[in-house]
Amino acid sequence: MEKLSECVEFGKINLASPYPPQMKGQPGADEITKDALDAGITPSDILNNALILAMNKVGQKYTENKIFVPQMLLSAKAMSASMNHLKPFFASGAVQRKGKFIVGTVFGDLHDIGKNLFSMMVEGAGWEVIDLGIDVKTEKFVETVQQNPGAVVGISALLTTTMVNMKPVIEAIKAVSPSTKVIVGGAPLSAEFATTIGADGYGKNPQEGIMWLDKISA
Amino acid sequence: MKEFIDKVLQTSKVSALPIMTHPGIEALGKSVKDAVTNGQTHYEAIKYLSEKYNTIAATSIMDLTVEAEAFGAAVNLPENEIPTVTGRLVSTSEEVDALQVPSLAKGRVPQYLLANKLAADNIKDKPVFSGCIGPFSLAGRLYDMSEIMVAIYIEPDTILQLLQKCTDFLISYCQALKATGVAGVVMAEPAAGLLSNDDCLMYSTDFVKQVVDAVQDDDFTLILHNCGNTGQCTQAMIASGAKALHFGNAIDMKGVLAECPRDMIVLGNLDPVGVFKQGTPDSIKVAVEELLAKTAGYTNFVVSSGCDLPPHVPEENIAAFLQVVNG
Repeated sequence: MEKLSECVEFGKINLASPYPPQMKGQPGADEITKDALDAGITPSDILNNALILAMNKVGQKYTENKIFVPQMLLSAKAMSASMNHLKPFFASGAVQRKGKFIVGTVFGDLHDIGKNLFSMMVEGAGWEVIDLGIDVKTEKFVETVQQNPGAVVGISALLTTTMVNMKPVIEAIKAVSPSTKVIVGGAPLSAEFATTIGADGYGKNPQEGIMWLDKISA
Repeated sequence: MKEFIDKVLQTSKVSALPIMTHPGIEALGKSVKDAVTNGQTHYEAIKYLSEKYNTIAATSIMDLTVEAEAFGAAVNLPENEIPTVTGRLVSTSEEVDALQVPSLAKGRVPQYLLANKLAADNIKDKPVFSGCIGPFSLAGRLYDMSEIMVAIYIEPDTILQLLQKCTDFLISYCQALKATGVAGVVMAEPAAGLLSNDDCLMYSTDFVKQVVDAVQDDDFTLILHNCGNTGQCTQAMIASGAKALHFGNAIDMKGVLAECPRDMIVLGNLDPVGVFKQGTPDSIKVAVEELLAKTAGYTNFVVSSGCDLPPHVPEENIAAFLQVVNG
């Protein structure tokens, strides 16, 4: 577990990956997860005692400016390589996650780096992520909420011209499912803006967003 | 360059240089699409704002798709929104190897050169600064921004090759912009602000410096804009050799001014959305006064928006900003 946690924390995806230099030639999250499952370690243990702990450290280091976007994405990719081995256990119900998180970039906006970064961090925090992609129409958000009762919704925007599109999406979601919680994020947004458009939460950075998710799911 | 820099350094009063074109486009009743595809419209917007507002210089549109489009990237051009690059042009080392550095006749480049030529020829009471994208931000648009962030560690040689091609094009583009008679260029390199200082040095600064070395002189200033920097890569920006640095609203301006040499022009950093677009004349007055108080004593400081003003900023907000700065 310690070795897997280290791979995720430092972004060692698999044996072939040359990053980080000090782990070059060593197995990565991909191989170690497979070996762990073969050795009888439970998927729950892998998720809770390696992946979530490691991604929590990654989020913390990012918030403290100790690492930056590239390192965070590499960690997220390592986490994802591990998570691929756990997916059959999620599907069978053998491993419980914290909840479902529906995420997408608002319609009119084609940017995805913030959305990708956050969704990978959310997955690493123990949530099932339903990524709707970029330029997501209101109807698509609403339809996915209806198909996944109890899911939390995250909406991202990078442009000042598209951040205003978030309000009608939130209104449409709340119209069909008033109890659905919605969090918004993106470079031009602020907590004040999030409040004015009716969002329940605002994530200034990934870690803040995850803390909010953990709070509402507690 | 010398004239602009001397004017800033030798005047005790702080000057104003908001990065803006959209208010001019709107005042002329034109669309963003008109302005980014037609050099005459683009110029008229610059000229309108130059005559209407008392700023130390005029600026052109911060359009971060022109150069990527010249390379062959697909671009979405909405009627009244900023253009965006769609999809990914290159994804393998073979594709990067085969990528051709485009000529200046490609895409909308000729229209941008026309706008800058018209502005330089017809705006005589203040310098005109053109705009271009930075090498790392351009490479990110060609390779996919999320992917390039990972690839700098997984496939560094491929990314360095791509960056060199981007830089070769930017040198040629900036030389052509210089030939139009403009006083300089605002090079927007926001993606480099997502990197550590060391990575910024390796994947941005080394390439920005090539452009600086090729075009910067007494008649032409390179203003390096990085609104992604939250303070971690200021030294890398300084190392580029650009004579002026422009910062976004995520950074502490007082801290940056303390870090930058006193003979370097430092511009920033009022929030273009929270302050200019969503604020009121009263709230803008408070924000500007706070910034001026924090930066007092720095003769190399020019008060600016932290990035290009977005569409639909109320005219009265711009007027309020300039009234506080200019008195």
